[in-house]
Order: sequence, then C-alpha cells, then structure tokens
Amino acid sequence: MILIKCPYCGYRDQSEFTSGGEAHVIRPKNPQSLSDKDWGEYVFYRNNPKGIFYERWVHSHGCKKWFNVVRNTATDQILKVYKVNEKRPDLSEFENTLKSPSGEPLVGSGNFAVKK
Amino acid sequence: MTAINNDCQYISKNKISFTFDGKIYSAYDGDTVASALLRNNVRLVGRSFKYHRPRGIYTCGIEEPNALVQIISEHNEPNTRATIKRVYDGMEIISQNRWPSLRHDFGAINNILSPIFSAGFYYKTFMGPKGFWKNLYEPLIRRSAGLGKPPKNFRSKSTHQYHNTDVVIIGAGLSGLAAAKKFINTKYKVLLIEQDCYLGGILKNSNKVKTINELTPQEWISETEELILNSKNITILKNTLVTTYNFTNHLIALEDKFAGKKIELNKSELTLHKIRTSNTIITNGHIERFISFRNNDLPGVMLASSFEKYIHRYGVVPEKEPVIFTNNSSSLSLLKKLISLGCKPKAYIDSRKKDNIETEIKKILKDNDISFFSDAEIEGCDGNKKIETITIRQGKSFTKLKSSMLCVSGGYNPDIHLFTQSKGLVKWDKNILSFKPDTPFQKTITLGSTSGNYNFKKLCDEINEKLSILKTKKVSLDINLNVPNKFSINELWETKKKNNSNWSKSFIDLHNDVTIKDLKQAITEGFDRIEHLKRYTTNSMGTDQGKISSINSLAIVSKMLKKEISEVGTTTYRPPYAPLSFAAIAGRSTYEFYDPERKTSIHSWHLKNNAVFEDVGQWKRPWYFKASENETMYQAVQRESKMLRENAGILDGSTLGKIEIKGRDALEFMNLMYTNAFSKMKAMTSRYAMMLGEDGMIKDDGIICKISDQHFIATTTSSGAPKVLADMEEYLQTEWPHLQVFLNSITEQFSTFNISGPKTREIMMKVFPDIDFSNDAFPFMTFKNFDYKETKIRIMRASFTGELGYEIYIPPKFGLKLWEEIFSCGKEYNLIPYGTETMHLLRAEKGYIVIGQETDGTVTPIDLNYNWMIGKNKKDFIGKRSLSRPDTSREDRKQLVGLSPINKKDIIEEGQHIVELNELPKKITNPIKYLGHVSSGYHSPNLNHSIGLAMIKGGKNLLGQKFFVTATGKTKNIPVEIVKPVFIDPENKRLTS
Ligand SMILES: [Zn+2]
Repeated sequence: MILIKCPYCGYRDQSEFTSGGEAHVIRPKNPQSLSDKDWGEYVFYRNNPKGIFYERWVHSHGCKKWFNVVRNTATDQILKVYKVNEKRPDLSEFENTLKSPSGEPLVGSGNFAVKK
Repeated sequence: MTAINNDCQYISKNKISFTFDGKIYSAYDGDTVASALLRNNVRLVGRSFKYHRPRGIYTCGIEEPNALVQIISEHNEPNTRATIKRVYDGMEIISQNRWPSLRHDFGAINNILSPIFSAGFYYKTFMGPKGFWKNLYEPLIRRSAGLGKPPKNFRSKSTHQYHNTDVVIIGAGLSGLAAAKKFINTKYKVLLIEQDCYLGGILKNSNKVKTINELTPQEWISETEELILNSKNITILKNTLVTTYNFTNHLIALEDKFAGKKIELNKSELTLHKIRTSNTIITNGHIERFISFRNNDLPGVMLASSFEKYIHRYGVVPEKEPVIFTNNSSSLSLLKKLISLGCKPKAYIDSRKKDNIETEIKKILKDNDISFFSDAEIEGCDGNKKIETITIRQGKSFTKLKSSMLCVSGGYNPDIHLFTQSKGLVKWDKNILSFKPDTPFQKTITLGSTSGNYNFKKLCDEINEKLSILKTKKVSLDINLNVPNKFSINELWETKKKNNSNWSKSFIDLHNDVTIKDLKQAITEGFDRIEHLKRYTTNSMGTDQGKISSINSLAIVSKMLKKEISEVGTTTYRPPYAPLSFAAIAGRSTYEFYDPERKTSIHSWHLKNNAVFEDVGQWKRPWYFKASENETMYQAVQRESKMLRENAGILDGSTLGKIEIKGRDALEFMNLMYTNAFSKMKAMTSRYAMMLGEDGMIKDDGIICKISDQHFIATTTSSGAPKVLADMEEYLQTEWPHLQVFLNSITEQFSTFNISGPKTREIMMKVFPDIDFSNDAFPFMTFKNFDYKETKIRIMRASFTGELGYEIYIPPKFGLKLWEEIFSCGKEYNLIPYGTETMHLLRAEKGYIVIGQETDGTVTPIDLNYNWMIGKNKKDFIGKRSLSRPDTSREDRKQLVGLSPINKKDIIEEGQHIVELNELPKKITNPIKYLGHVSSGYHSPNLNHSIGLAMIKGGKNLLGQKFFVTATGKTKNIPVEIVKPVFIDPENKRLTS
C-alpha cells in the first residue's frame, strides 16, 4: 500500500485512489481522419515499462480530481506528482533515481534479494 | 522425564486444566500449549503433512513447523502454533491430520508409499485419466494430506486500528529496549511492538547475559519498561506480531486481545494494526536453525535454544538428561543451566574440532563427567513415535546412545524476513554462515542479532551509531556475560547417513515433509533455480515458511550445484511473516457490514406487500411480489406480466441512476458522450440513448431528458451509475477541460415510479386530476414539471414494457405517500406492483435490450440493429471511429435476433447455445459448430409460449431460418425459428396509444 500525494489534498493512502493507466495519451482531435491502424494504436496500445512510467491517477474516494504521476514501476517509488495541465517532466529529471531494488536487469522479476 | 525450574518468574502459580485429544491435563497460567504438554511429558502432538509421521514440539516460538493443533474451544480454530498459543482454564485442544487417533494413524501408510510422494508428485502421479483429479485424487489428497479442519459457526469481531507514527521498533528484546530507551521523552512518536506478553527477548529466554549496567536482566527490563511507560511519546503493544512490511513504511501487525484468556463472544478478539511510519527499526532478533540427519523429525528432537527457552521462560526442563548436538558455541549457556538445576546431559556432540571448542565447555563436560564427542555428528536416531536410540559418528566409529531427547543447534539466522519484505538487500556473512541485512530500500534500521551482530559488547556502539541519524539520547549498556562473547561456528548442514530404509528420512522441511533426497531429485530433473526448486519440491512453502530450515536448504542446494550460496540466492520472503487469520483481515467487514445496503423510500411498503428482493449493485430491488404464501417465482412473474398488459402495473424505479449535466457547453458534451444527436432535439423531450467505449462497444444506456441546451438529465442503469459519472468526469477533466460543464449525481434526490399498462392513463388522471394526459398534450417521450401538493414533481411519458407508460419523479420524502395514493386510485383498475423479473420479461417480449444481458462488452449498437441511435452526422462521439473498424463492421458478427420455438411447448433457456444440429452426439469428439447464444429466455404469458432473444453470427440475414437451441441435460435440441426481436406490438400502437 503506497502513499500518494494528491496535488489537491496531500498525502493519502493508495486505497483512496484509482489508477488510470498511461498518461499523456491524447485523444485524437479528429478520429475520423485516422487510419484503422493509428486509431487502433490509440484505443488498444499502451506502454507498460519496468522502470520510469508516466501514469494517471484519480483521487476517486476524495476530491475526484485526475492528475499525473511519475512512478518507478520496479520500486513503486513515486518520483513526481503534477496536475493534468502541467508540463510533462523530462525523463532526465529521474536519471539519478534508484532503478530497481537490487539493480536487477530491465526485464524480469523484481524479486532478487541478495546483494551481488 | 521433565523437571521444573523453580526460578522462572514468568509463570504464575495458578493451576489450570485443559484437554488435549480428550484427556485432561493441568498446567499453569502463562503456559503455552507446548510448554503445558511438555510439563505433562507429552511429546507426540501431531502427524506430518504428507507422510503422517509422528511429530513433536520442535521449537519454542513462531518458527514451529510441527506442533500445529486445533483449538476446539475457539470455533475449531485450526493450525494454531502450540508454541505460541497460551492455554487457559477449560481450553479444548485436539491434534491434527490423523485418523482414527494420534497414536494409530491410518495415513501413516503414506510414509511406506513415500516413493510416489517425492518431489513434484502432484505433477507426475495425478496426470490422468481425465476426471480422476476432480473426482478421486483431489478429495483423497485433501483428506489424507493437509492440516486442520476449517473453523465453524464463527463470527469474527476483529477490528482494525490505524497509526501514523515517526518510529516503529519491532521486537522488545535487548536491542529493541535499548533502542526505545534512546527515544524516551524525545519529539518522536514511537511504537514499540512485542510479540510476547513480556518484554526482554533473549534476556528472559536464556541466562546468556549476567548483568546490564550492574542490574540483573530482570531488573534492567523492569526499569526500562517503567521509563518507557512514563515517557509520553512511546506506546508499547504487547501480544502483537508485525506480519507485513510494505512499501512506504507501511506495516501491518496483529494483536491478540485474548492471549491466554478465553475469548468473550461480545468483544473483539483480534486487532489488526495498520501503521504508517517514517522510520522502522527492526530488532526482532534471530532464529535458530536445525541440522538434517536421519529421522531428524522424531518426537524428542528439539532446537537447543528452544529447549533453553522452555527452562527460562516457562520453567519446564523438557528432559533431564538430553543429548546436545551443536556446530557452534551457543549451547554453553544451556549446558551451564542444566548443571545448575542438577540435570546432567547424556552427551555433548560438537562438530567443531576439539581445539576450536571453548575451554569453558570442555571444563564443564570434564568436571561433570559428561560424554563428549568433538569433531563428531549425529548420524541419526531411531525409535517408535519417539527417540529411543541416537547414533553418533566420530570419524569412522559409531556410538549408540539411549536417550529420549536431542537438542540440536545448527547456528543462528538473523531474522531477515521483514527486512527483505521491505525490499532491502541481504548479503552472505561467512562468519555467522547466514544472510544478514545489507542495503535497506526504505528507512529501515536493523540492530543487534537481526543485523547479524552476535557480539553483545558491540551492541551499544551499534545502536548509538545507527540511530545517530535521528535526534535521540545516548544510551549506555555495560553488559556482563555468562558465556564467551565471541561466536564460533563450523559449517554443517546435513550429516552422512549410514542406514538406508524407506522409513528413514533426512528432512529439510518438516512442515511440508520435504527431504534432502527430494532436493537432489529436483536438481537432477533440471530444477536448479532456487525459485523453481522451491515450487517443485514445496520446500519452505509451509505456513512456517521454512524459518528453521530455508537457509539450510540454500546451503545444501548450493553445494549440490557447486555454487556459492550468494549465487544461488534466497527465495522471496513474502508477507505475512506468520499466518494471519482471515477474520483479522476482514475486520468488521463481514455479513451485513461487508457492503452497504441501499434501500428506496418505498422499501417498507415492499416488505409489507411480500416483495422478494434482488441485489442490483448495492440496491435492494423487489424481484417479484408474492400474491400468496405458496406462489412460486415463476407463477408470480407470469401473473404480474399478464396483469400488466391487461390492466396496469407499477415498478419502483428509484434505483435508476440519475445524473444532472449543466453548463454552457452541456449540449456539446452530451453529443460527445452519447451516440445520439441532441442538437435538434426539442426542449422538454427525452430520448433513449447509448454510451460506448472508445472501442465502440456498448457501455451503458438510459433516457436523456433535455431541459435546455445547457441542462440535461441522464438516467443510467441501476448498477452503472457510478461508472458513468466517473467516465463523464474523466473526459471533462482530461480531454475536454475547455468545456464548461458541471455534473451532479442526483440518483437519491428522487423517488422514481414507472407505471404502465393500458389502464395507466385513467389511473394517472385520477391521481393528478389537474394534468392533461391526452396524447396531444402529453405525447410519447416528453416530460413536464408540475406543482404537486407541497412539492414539485416531474412526469415523463416513457415505457420499458411496450405499454402506455409514465415515469414519475418526486423527492423521496414524499415518495411513499404518492406511491400509496397511486395504489388507492389504481385499485379499481386492478393496478399491481411488479418487480424486476417481470420488467425483464415484458421488455423481452417487446425486444428491448438489457445492458449486461444482451450486451457483454463485445456488442456494438449496430450488432443490435440500433443504427437509428447513431448520430451519423455528428463529427465525433466516444467510440464513433471504432464502429468503422474492419472488425466492428464485419457482416458475420454476433447480432441480435428473436427466437420462437417451432414446437410451442418447448422451453428456450437463457445461456444455451445455438447450433445447426437437431441432436448432439452422445460422445462429443469433434467441436460442434457454434452460432451464438440465447441472451434472454422467458415463457411469455401473453403469447403463451417460450420466447428468446439471441446473439447469433450474421443473425440479421438469417430471419425465417430454422436452427436448434441446446437444452440442459438433453442431447435432443429444440428447433427454433429466427424472427425479428419484437414479439408484441411491433407497430408501437400500445406504446403510443
Ligand atoms: Zn484529492
């Protein structure tokens, strides 16, 4: 159970929030002009990286506001929280953060517990 | 034989009695089940998981793999650790996993059959034939292997408690108390959590420490506890076990409110503490590990420090003349204590070379004339349901000893469980031959033996140094010891077997009956990764999670693989640290408190009129009304459906979701959210509308009332309302923040009644004599607001039954009164109340769909022939683009049709398949071509035969064709004709009458 800082309410327990998947996926302005492939990409395809991920959360059992979060999916650390109308922070901002608990490879389990 | 240690201060002199397997025993207040049984010389307490081998008490704590018992007097609570559970007067306990009795267990035959139960036996033995798993193997395994039986008639009153704190100290032993002392009267809010009912840990479990700051350990504990209690910032939780260490320093701890007492039914027996902290200090010590040798599971084998704990903590010497087997220096204190009590160990076997063994040990052994074997090991032990003989190997010679108890020490493991749960990294330490915490991942500090520091003299410096990052006081510990300060250990995980027989086994996991042979076999079969090996052999997967043995298995496996142990790694330690009962997790969220019940303002009337309720989301909705005691649901629904089409019926539709949409851009917003076009729609009219997902699939439906371009009211399905509102809100906030629209859930602001049937107009005119209900003044799909008595109402002309109908909206405060008024006016017209089942039947006759019945997340409006609802000229709406995707516009998609049985007596059942065969083969060898399924099936009382709605591949082009519908328990299928999905009033004459 992680702690999430709602930009409007402050730190609250994860159970008050709902995850909304990848952030910065903008609904096309004119869907009819898109090819089937491009529209399919928008509707069905999302990134699911191990590591730094830009994602959306909503304070569903609170102020009901949507906001964006930068989270490391390998460590569950929340690196940044920002409002929907704020600029997407650059990836370089998070370069020096811990990549994964034990520095394991980019793909694979996050379960290694022994220091090499 | 057992003996008593009269110096023990932790056991009261109050005698109590309890029963074990029906026999009465006496014990003292403060005893655990295990110490009480040992006090009574009971050593056989259970049967093992797989082989039903006799098992005794192996440890004196949470790490116990064997002594699991069932507490009859606590709702049959199973798998209770006898080494933790305290006894009380009148407690009833039975042993587990044996039949017919503990001494004569039929399942012990499994031990003889053990070759088929070896590693991976589930996967190999029970492969076939088909059906055997479900009907034979599984029930057999469940009966013969396993643990206790589930509790019964149990209603938990557990509660949850939340904490926000600065520091949590886990474990109030020597390190924990010293650490807590540093926080006394500081600005930090501290929680000190102890699993036992006494503080002190090793100080009360052994006599290793002689004095601290010139006080006896007991004096120092009391002094420290008092200082802590007097400080305002530290809270102590006793009888509380931290089971879980989550991300963001979130801890879960379980407090047993009735430890050592009989549970009172009206009080909460467990408290689950949910703790959010800034810093966590782990001082939960270490756990002794065993050594594998032949029959190392026989009752009578016990870990040496547990044996020592029974003497100090519970005042019971489990055996006066035990044999001690060790590979390290820690057993000196046990040796000393036994001598001081006048007990004399039978023999002392140390795997270390004579020169490496402490001089003091050698002196005591010599002075007391105790058999001493250095550079030696236990080959194995033998006996019938208990140890009778012990075989010692020293070089090439073997010595047999007669004894009934063997104390074993294979060294100590820092208790890294919680540290690794927190995602901290551990490292192999060659000096203690174990893993110890290395890099914390969160704000976690480990102190004392948890951190791998077995040196008492260095403890004070460690605490002061590691806690220097916080503003705490300096603490000083001047510790005098009864034992050498230096810890010495010789690597030994398993001993060599001399005898080989089916019965003789060297266990690596006592709880799950895993042997060293199983590990070897798994590796031979290619399971050489530790996580695979664990699952294949079930090693360390028991409820004890291999606390006394998992490191041993890693060491043994690393030797088999010729790898370093750090290369092999550990398996993942997962929460909970020890079993956590579901009752504690559920807390008060049980039975009627599990989920709120929502009731309409008419609920009391429904109760009075014999409504049978259906759960729709959280709502209680009348399903049907019983006209008489013996009326079945089928009869009631047939009656209600027929009466409504002949006269009139009324439904409590208050549960229907209602959302108010207001604002400058409300019209544009509605045009985007729904498929329909609202621009040309006149004010004060309403329209049936659909909401899609971006994938083009139907998500919800409802009636949209347009009050003006800036004001709409949308109704939703009863269970879909929260999701629809959340979706609207999401689009407004994230995609169209430029739209000025405000949303408000108004579901509970209105009681809603749907009244329909041919006599409806007469009834409405009688209830509302001032309103003109004529077709011209009040046409279909329009609505109007009226003053009614001291309130306002809205009436809409709409229908979900296909009959002339009106929907009445009134504030709930006045709802029941109006409902009763309608009934008194409707009496002469035979007005009936009806429930959701009749509503479903009537709408099916009319061919109206129900979300979640005809649709299942893969259905578009085109599939339902609802093209007329799609605003084709609209530039965009949610899901529009997807309706022209190649897959969505396929001709052979499943489409809505009606089904009419050719033989009018046949019954079309919901959920059945539609096929081309008139009869299914007796034995199905090839797949049968599947065309679709029956989404709704009812007997229509108005047509007097069965009808169905179905989703069939390419259904639109199949009208008039004959297919077959499968039937429950029959191979003969029902012939049906594909018809238009409208069975009653296709011309809408009734609807617009
Ligand atoms: Zn908020």
